This record gives sequence, C-alpha cells and structure tokens, in this order.
Amino acid sequence: MTDFLLEALDQGLFTSITDNGAGGLSSSVGEMARATGGATIDLARAKLKYPGLMPWEILLSEAQERMTVGIPPDLLDAFLALAARREVEAAAIGTFTDSGYFHVLHDERTVALLEMEFLHDGLPEMRLSARWNPPTARPLPAIELSPEEALREILARENIASKEAKSRQYDHEVKARTVIKPFTGVFLVDYERPEGVVLSEGINPWYSDLDTRHMAMAVVDEAVRRLVAGGARPGTISALDNFCWPDPVESEITPDGQYKLAQLVRACQGLHEACVAFGVPLISGKDSMKNDSTRGGVKISIPPTLLLSAMGRIDDVALAQTPEPKAIGDLLYIVGETAAELGASEFARWIESRHRDGTDAPRDAAVGGSPPVTDPVLMRTRYGKMSQAIAEGVPASVKTPSLGGVAVALAWMAFGAELGLKVDLDAQPVTDGLDLWNRLFSESSGRFLVTVPPSRADRFEDIMAGEPVARLGIVDDPGRLVITFEGTTIIDSDVPELKNIWQAPLARF
Amino acid sequence: MAKKQTPRVLIPTGFGLNCERETALACRMVGFETDLVHISDLSAGQVSLSDYGLVVIIGGFSFGDHLGAGKVLSIRLLNTLPESLCDFVDGGGLLLGICNGFQTLAKMRLLPRLDGVDTQTVTVTGNEQGCFHDGWVTLAENPGSHCIFTRGLDRLDLPVRHGEGRVVTASDDLRRRLLDEGHVPIRYVDPLGEPTMEFPYNPNGSPDGIAGLCDTTGRVFGLMPHPEAYHSPLLHPQWPRQKREGTLPADGPGLIVFRNAFNYLKEA
Repeated sequence: MTDFLLEALDQGLFTSITDNGAGGLSSSVGEMARATGGATIDLARAKLKYPGLMPWEILLSEAQERMTVGIPPDLLDAFLALAARREVEAAAIGTFTDSGYFHVLHDERTVALLEMEFLHDGLPEMRLSARWNPPTARPLPAIELSPEEALREILARENIASKEAKSRQYDHEVKARTVIKPFTGVFLVDYERPEGVVLSEGINPWYSDLDTRHMAMAVVDEAVRRLVAGGARPGTISALDNFCWPDPVESEITPDGQYKLAQLVRACQGLHEACVAFGVPLISGKDSMKNDSTRGGVKISIPPTLLLSAMGRIDDVALAQTPEPKAIGDLLYIVGETAAELGASEFARWIESRHRDGTDAPRDAAVGGSPPVTDPVLMRTRYGKMSQAIAEGVPASVKTPSLGGVAVALAWMAFGAELGLKVDLDAQPVTDGLDLWNRLFSESSGRFLVTVPPSRADRFEDIMAGEPVARLGIVDDPGRLVITFEGTTIIDSDVPELKNIWQAPLARF
Repeated sequence: MAKKQTPRVLIPTGFGLNCERETALACRMVGFETDLVHISDLSAGQVSLSDYGLVVIIGGFSFGDHLGAGKVLSIRLLNTLPESLCDFVDGGGLLLGICNGFQTLAKMRLLPRLDGVDTQTVTVTGNEQGCFHDGWVTLAENPGSHCIFTRGLDRLDLPVRHGEGRVVTASDDLRRRLLDEGHVPIRYVDPLGEPTMEFPYNPNGSPDGIAGLCDTTGRVFGLMPHPEAYHSPLLHPQWPRQKREGTLPADGPGLIVFRNAFNYLKEA
C-alpha cells in the first residue's frame, strides 16, 4: 500500500491523506472534512475484511493498514486503475462537501448525521483542579562500597546494561542511509549529497518522582545535547513531545488526581520553557493519558513520562561525531559544570535498592536530593560553541553523560573504543565542595565529554572560552580505565572485564 | 541479449521489496543505466528482458515473508512473467539476488541449479539463533570460484539484516560438491580470516560459513549480505576510526559486486 501511495503521489493522483487510527473512518473522514465543511460517506461501499459488520462497526473499526485519501473527481479512475494494477484494495466511499454536516449512510440509508460544529467543537472543556505539593526527597543511605564496586554494580543494572542483543533485532541499516547507528542516528537525506539529519531521544521518568518540571527540562536538554554532540546545527532542531501519563483526573479511583494533574502542568511548563530557550519547535507529538491498571485489587500507575524525539540538520555527515575515542594520546575534556544533583539518579536508586535487599523503594518520592536543574539559556550558548568546534572538525569524539553520570559515560567510551582512559577528577568543574560520589555519578545537565587530538587542543580551548571546561585526562593504552581524585586512585579497572559485566545481564533476551 | 552501449539493469520492485533505491544507486555508480519496474508491470509485459544485461532481485520482505522468505515471490516470478528468468540467464544474462532476492532465487531453483531446475536442492531458512540479526560481517572470497560477481573481492565487510539466512542443502554430499566445485564464492570468516560457524561472525549458522551461492555458469549469484548497502565508505560502523587512521576507502567497497557485473557485460 505504501509503495502504491508513493507512486500515486508522484503522479499527483490525490490531494489529501490521513491514516485510519483511533476512531477509524469516523475520525479520519471527520478530520479531513473540516477543510471543506462537511462530508457524505456510504459505509456499504467500504472494503471489509469479513462480512456481517454493523454500520457503526464499519465507521469505528480501527483495522490497520488503511488510509483515507481525498481525490479530485477527474483523477478517480486513474487512481483506482493504479490501485488495481498494484493489487491494493481501494474504494470511493463518499464526497467531501460544504454542507456543514458529517453525513453517514449505509446502503443509501442515513445512519448518522452530525453537525460539523458539534463534531469538532462540541466537547465541553473540562474544569479541573491541580495542587502541587513538592515531595521531599529521602536522604541517600550510607555508602559502604568503594567507587570501583559501585561502578561495577551500576554497569550491570538493567537500565545501564548493554541493549545490543535487542538493538540488533531491528534493521538499522534500512535504505543504506545510516551513517551513525543504531540509536543517536545520523542519516543521509540524499545519497549523493553530504547533508544529513541527526536523530536523538531524551527520556527520564525517575526525575518525575521529584519534580516533573525539572524532568521535562532535563529531557529536552538530553535530546538537544545528544543532537549537538552528533553534529546537528542548533537553529535547525525540531522535536516531537510524546506524553505517557497516569490518569490526572481526580475521581474515586484516582484520589491523587490533583497532584497528578499538577505534575502534568509542571511538565508542560518545563517543556515550554526549555523549548523556547533552546529555540526548538515542537512540530508534532502524542499523548496517552490513562496509563493505569488495577491488578489483583492494586492500582498501578505508570510514572509521568515524557519522551522527546528530536531531529536536526548536519551540513556534512562526514563531520558527524561518535562517543568512542579514536586514538591513544588524544586529550580528554569535560565541558559543563557538575552539581550536587543525585536526586532520583541511577546511583541514588541503586544505593537505596541495595539497602532494601534489591527491591525498589516506593515511588511516592525519590531518594538523593535535587534532580538535575537545567538552565537552557546558559546551555544554548555552550551548544553553539560545541557545534562550531564540530563543524571545524576539532573533536575526535563527543559523549553526553546522562544516566549514571560521568563514571558510566567514561566506561562506555572505553568500551566503544576498546582503548583505555586515564582520568583525574580534581580538574572537573564543579559546584563548591562537591563530593566524590557526585563527581562520579551526578546526572547534571549540559555536559559533554570530548576527546581532542593534541594538535587541535588549543583551538578547542579557544572555541570553548567562557565555558566551564577542563582537561580531565588522556586516551591511554588499551586495557584500563583509571580514575584518580585528590592523589588517590579510586578506580583502576580492566576494560574488557568491565565490558563483560555490562554486556552479561541482557546478552540474550 | 541485445548488445547496447551502456549495460542496463532491471530492478523489479513492489510487494514489500525495499532496497530498490540504494541498489539502483550502486548500479548507477559503476556505470549502469537502471530501470525500476513494478513486478505487476513485468507481469503485464511492459518491458522486455532482452533489453537488460543484469536483473537484480533486491532485498526486502516480499509478501510479508509469509510461507517463508521469498517463497511467494518465487512462485510469482516463475508463473506470471511473460518471459522466463531461466531463459534470460541461458541467453547470457546476469542475475543477482540479494538477501530476499537470494532466498527467492534458491526457491525458484535457479540456484545452485547443478542438475536442471526441476528439483529444489537448496533453501535459505531461519537463522540458527532463532531471530532477526543486524550486523556487519566479514566475507572472504573463494578464489577458485567461477562466479563473475566476486572476482577480486578478496576480503569485504558488508551488513547483514535478515531472519532467514541459513543455507541448507538437500544432503551433505551436495554441500561438499558445492564447496568443491566453486559454487560457494563467499564465506563468513572470523577475525583470523577462517570460515566460521561462530556467531556473530557467522550471523545465521550457515554451514561452512556459506554466505552466497552461484550456478554452474557463474552468471547467477545470490548472497545474504547487502553489497549495495556499502555504497559509501561512511556506512561502515568503524568509519570514524578509519578516517582518523587514514584507512577510509575512497568509494564504497560493496560496489565491487556491481562493477564486476558491469565489466563482464562490457567485455561480453
């Protein structure tokens, strides 16, 4: 069907198109009819998968792989002829009108007649109350393990562990356009031209346990930062916001509706503020607002979740950046300040679950203090400089620390390159008096880890002038990830062994 | 086969085949002129096979892989085309099947076609590990093969992306005969360059690392990896490192398969 529609499009055989999703024909035709002010359809003309459907079933059926297409009458024969040649079922079911009515017949008998005005604007607006009671974060429990033991255990957690087995089960080479794959994607727009599109995602439902506003802003930052790290030019970035939310309407089964609604309001506020500051229009999106289930008498609501899918342009895909270091002797930099922001972090959740014999704590609040607080105005300037450095071909690799902080990001860089890293955390730009755990595992927004060949180090520092940037270490001989702080070696791990710890949990699923 | 200034390629499309654009690109890059023609238009006799030097049955998931990958398409191509692909090959034409195309040619009995086309002796079926796999593999050429597509290929990295890529022969004797008589032009190899059964170097458990097959003429070739998907050096997963190390190829190494076909037709 898609091949046929693309061919029909190239031949100019239709002028409008909508897919049949929720609500089936009632929704697709009803939406399209807004353009003319009405429509008349006869359901008896629709192709059916099997006989015996009632008219209302035909109107509302959500059977998949169907499109509703608007065709000028003089092109109808050509459209239907091409459909027949391509073995695609198609039928003319009605006409767009300016009658002001959505008129539905079945075998010439009227089965529905609704005013367009009612159809589109008839739903009364809901009036709801929201109440924001900021949750109090539980303090971090005592930490009895060494940093090295902490890193090993965190690398094996399911949200950090390698997803390779799964990501290889989908085709990330499709159309032979993907230059960077499979996740942060860079792909060619046109095979024989250098321009590309960079794709990325930002998501973090855990911060919602503390504040959905900070969650939304961190999610926008993560998506934008990953795009910039891949090589996308700021100013060309747009995004889709996808909400997956628990029921936020107060009722007998949702007594905490006012709080959940406040979470929704604050997420929208944060999303708006971050997108305006970054200059990122939200060009589409989707919401799903009733993600609750009662199982065995227990109500389960999913955490407020915002997935931001972003895309931006790169002028030349050959300048795209990947996270893994490329050569021994390259210098390792960190850009951006690390703050005491372990709230709801992977580290904080790990240490708390350890104290609970491996079970997760209840999600009515979270552990570990403040979540990352994002300042998109500050970061926009920084990302402009990073983009310039990449456009000039200065870095050799760019990585964006997020879940698991700098420690996990460094381990991933070493895994990707199968090279070692020698890192000194004393140089790390941090807020006053920041402790070692925060330096390693805080998930502060706005940060990059960058490797730069020594010959381009001066240029990199020139471009980054004015930003919190520091030389953190060097790409070293294969085999070891070595991290020191205040003159002491706190992590000295065999990279292949760490990689095995990271790959083992989800190696086959 | 008509002699023409520039060899032409016919690329049948539609019904879930989906590699037509990059395959046409790869063909154009080595000098071919290309025609993309929907299979329903082929059935309607809108083109003549005699105008073409090469037909490529491309990758995708024709007819949703129902009844087994390539099965429905093989029935369709055997029974609805006004001219037979078998006659096209016997008249000197080249036939290349990539991924879904390889599965189709095996099920059409055009590969390996040792003793006529009446019996199917080889199939391409479900990966041993039981699921779809996307990854890059290294292939080694069998220099003793008479396949015209793999000449000088030596060692080549290509992506595979399939759920049904394991080559199964009707008997072990047949498999040995295929290996001994040059019908296995390329095999999956491990980092030491040895034909391998080890996943993921061998992505589907194909015996003896068989990655592709050719017929007795060497003019019909099917393979699971996608040479068209390495039309640019920037598609290799290690290109950023190759660029840094100065080993980035000048053009797409996968083009060699198409270039060999072009040169063969130019010289024919």
